[in-house]
Amino acid sequence: MTASRTDGRAVITGIGVVAPNGVGADEFWKATAEGISVLAPVSRDGCTHLPLRVAGEVHGFDAESVIEERFLVQTDRFTHYAMAAADLAVRDAGLETGAGSPFAVGVVTAAGSGGGEFGQRELQHLWAQGPHFVGPYQSIAWFYAASTGQISIRGGLKGPCAVVAADEAGGLDALAHAARTIRRGAAAVVVGATEAPLAPYSIVCQLGYPELSLGADPGRAYLPFSTEACGFVPAEGGGMFVVEDAESARRRAARIRAVVAGHAATFTGASRWAESRDGLAHAIRGALAAADCAPEEVDVVFADALGVPEADRAEVLALADALGGHSRRVPVTAPKAGTGRAYCGAPLLDTAAAVLALEQGLVPPTPNVGAAGHDIDLVTGLARPAELRTALVLSRGLMGSNAALVLRHGSAGHDPRSDTP
Amino acid sequence: MNPPLTYEQLAALIKKMAGITVAPAALADPSATFDEFGVDSLGLLGIAGELQNSYGTPIAQGVETSKTPRQFLDAVNTSVKAGA
Repeated sequence: MTASRTDGRAVITGIGVVAPNGVGADEFWKATAEGISVLAPVSRDGCTHLPLRVAGEVHGFDAESVIEERFLVQTDRFTHYAMAAADLAVRDAGLETGAGSPFAVGVVTAAGSGGGEFGQRELQHLWAQGPHFVGPYQSIAWFYAASTGQISIRGGLKGPCAVVAADEAGGLDALAHAARTIRRGAAAVVVGATEAPLAPYSIVCQLGYPELSLGADPGRAYLPFSTEACGFVPAEGGGMFVVEDAESARRRAARIRAVVAGHAATFTGASRWAESRDGLAHAIRGALAAADCAPEEVDVVFADALGVPEADRAEVLALADALGGHSRRVPVTAPKAGTGRAYCGAPLLDTAAAVLALEQGLVPPTPNVGAAGHDIDLVTGLARPAELRTALVLSRGLMGSNAALVLRHGSAGHDPRSDTP
Repeated sequence: MNPPLTYEQLAALIKKMAGITVAPAALADPSATFDEFGVDSLGLLGIAGELQNSYGTPIAQGVETSKTPRQFLDAVNTSVKAGA
């Protein structure tokens, strides 16, 4: 297990979201709090005849209006989302990236599959016309590291940069890496993950996952924790954040939106969902210990919620193992039931929802799910008002990674002496 | 035989392959460099590939390392002439 303690030093000051249910944190939160499901029939060109019937597509995103053409031609859709979300996060944080040393701000992203749509187009050129018809930007656009590199180049951000390729839960690992980067002296890190897995080649790759839901009814294709759970629906998009040194943030009077308090990650093997119980429980314990957080202090859980019965059961048991009796009392929610799972982007969307939930004192519901078929307090129907100080975000990947992240309310970041009881 | 590449055509290719809008007159300025327009070697490699495909004749390797539009035009036109 890897665990990281941040001493309350890494705080979130900016949120940028490109999600199936909204572009920008405000639109995203409104739809999330209202429990609106945007799952719908797959509509992308070249995809409608494939066995995957329902997905969470991003609509209302016009790349040309927010990204310069010279960056658009060299990048895949997943990087378009990342650059746009990074802009939103930096703007939200009010961070003047050009003001201080360019080496003070770094970039960290996680990626699960890279630029499949761009890669497919160029490989079609290769086989239809020959190697001279493959554009040189193929060499960088498909790559997992593309978003980190392009955000860094475009923003002139020359601080510590990294890419986490660690499965879906790598999205949370990226936040932990950013927090460690802050501890090593960076002033701020633009961090997150976005994905674009809804292109023909990418979808065909996913058809081999036994966990993928091929359900045709958008209201029933992804029902985590219910007795009718039948797999997960994929989605695109994700979130980027500005994670900042608390002291730097205070100095420039930035609004501290949440504290990245603790994280831990484990690995238990691809599709071994029963084994993920121990791995996830271990990650939760590690993250709580890193945050100096007692189980009873957790006010809300944003679940991984895979929607596969065996995996849902393992997650419920992991919560019981790690939180004890509190696991039956703490509100658990899975907003992704209404958007689908955007692979590495999914835990970042949950992190955005968790930060907004802490701020608003509102637990968003799990769309489409009527009632939990497990012994947890799953929030369904309407959002539930609650005083929220601490949120636990969970993520598991299809390849066996598990991660847990503890977030504290932003007020915990205003005075470092108040971080721990 | 292909006619020599002009600054107008180069400007159109830069727009198409590298997504950058440059006026032909700016490219024709003898002191102009690709750096100042933000055109990098991958962009030039893509332009060389596009020219090679439309001319149907190979273009000498290395034209993408040209620092100025004039160098690039000279290298391409010399290569096309030699190959014709």
